[in-house]
Amino acid sequence: MSTLYVLDIPENTAVATIAAEDPTVVVDKIGPYFEIRADGPLVVDRRATGCRHAVWYSCVAGVAPGDVITQHDKDALRVESA
Amino acid sequence: MTESTGGLEHRVRGVDHVAFPTFDPAATVRFYRDVLGFPVVHSICAAGWGPEHHPDFIHFFFDIGNDDRIAFFYYFGTENPTRGDKGDAYAKFAADVPEYFVRSRHLAIHVENEEDLLEYRRRLDASDWPVEMQIQHETIESIYTHDPNGYFFEITRAMRPVTPQEDLDATLTIDALLDVLDRPEPTFGKLLARKAELIVDRAAGWQPAEPAGTAGWETVVR
Repeated sequence: MSTLYVLDIPENTAVATIAAEDPTVVVDKIGPYFEIRADGPLVVDRRATGCRHAVWYSCVAGVAPGDVITQHDKDALRVESA
Repeated sequence: MTESTGGLEHRVRGVDHVAFPTFDPAATVRFYRDVLGFPVVHSICAAGWGPEHHPDFIHFFFDIGNDDRIAFFYYFGTENPTRGDKGDAYAKFAADVPEYFVRSRHLAIHVENEEDLLEYRRRLDASDWPVEMQIQHETIESIYTHDPNGYFFEITRAMRPVTPQEDLDATLTIDALLDVLDRPEPTFGKLLARKAELIVDRAAGWQPAEPAGTAGWETVVR
């Protein structure tokens, strides 16, 4: 399981929307945060989100303990089990 | 706001003044008064006194809006005592000190909207201190230059109002940071893991002080 938390603000909505396009991904809410989960690795394509760099590189609010970010660059954000 | 202030009443009212030394007061007056149009609102002409052989000085203030002020000290007969390859009139650094660090301490002055930001961009671009960068950050847009003293100078506008959930997020970030600083070898990854725990513990029960006005998350959740 890979779990990512993203604050629900207008700039970040596309991150949750694009993540949700993957059928293996489930997007829930905990208060004002998106909880984005996948059984395997969780990958979000940056270009598909349309996020400008400042937004992209600050969009992660939390990563569940035991998971790690293995990629966060101009191409993608990838979270998987450590 | 009890959570974000630790329960203490918040009584302060912004910046009274922030003060810097200058060794080029003529250019400083040109930049702040004549280029930017910041009024001169106060000055002190003081003879040197005290135990430290303090030089005679002029302390002069410009209004930066909201009755807040930026102030400068000009010391007669004094050369800049700092040494280094880069930096500003107050602080110099060796050539190998990274630029992100040198630029980290800066003053940002607020404007109401894009029209006002671009007005100051026009004023600076017509001067000896043109805008060096215009950047849209996460939720603000800023223009940057260096003033005649080498001080990194920013004017910024909010692209939207801050939402209530961003206040919660800031509180959880700082609490997570303090927690990981109490443990060995703090890292960004450990902060995000601790913050995830705080989100699970505390975010579900959070209620905004006013409607959050978020962007249709119902269409995303499934």
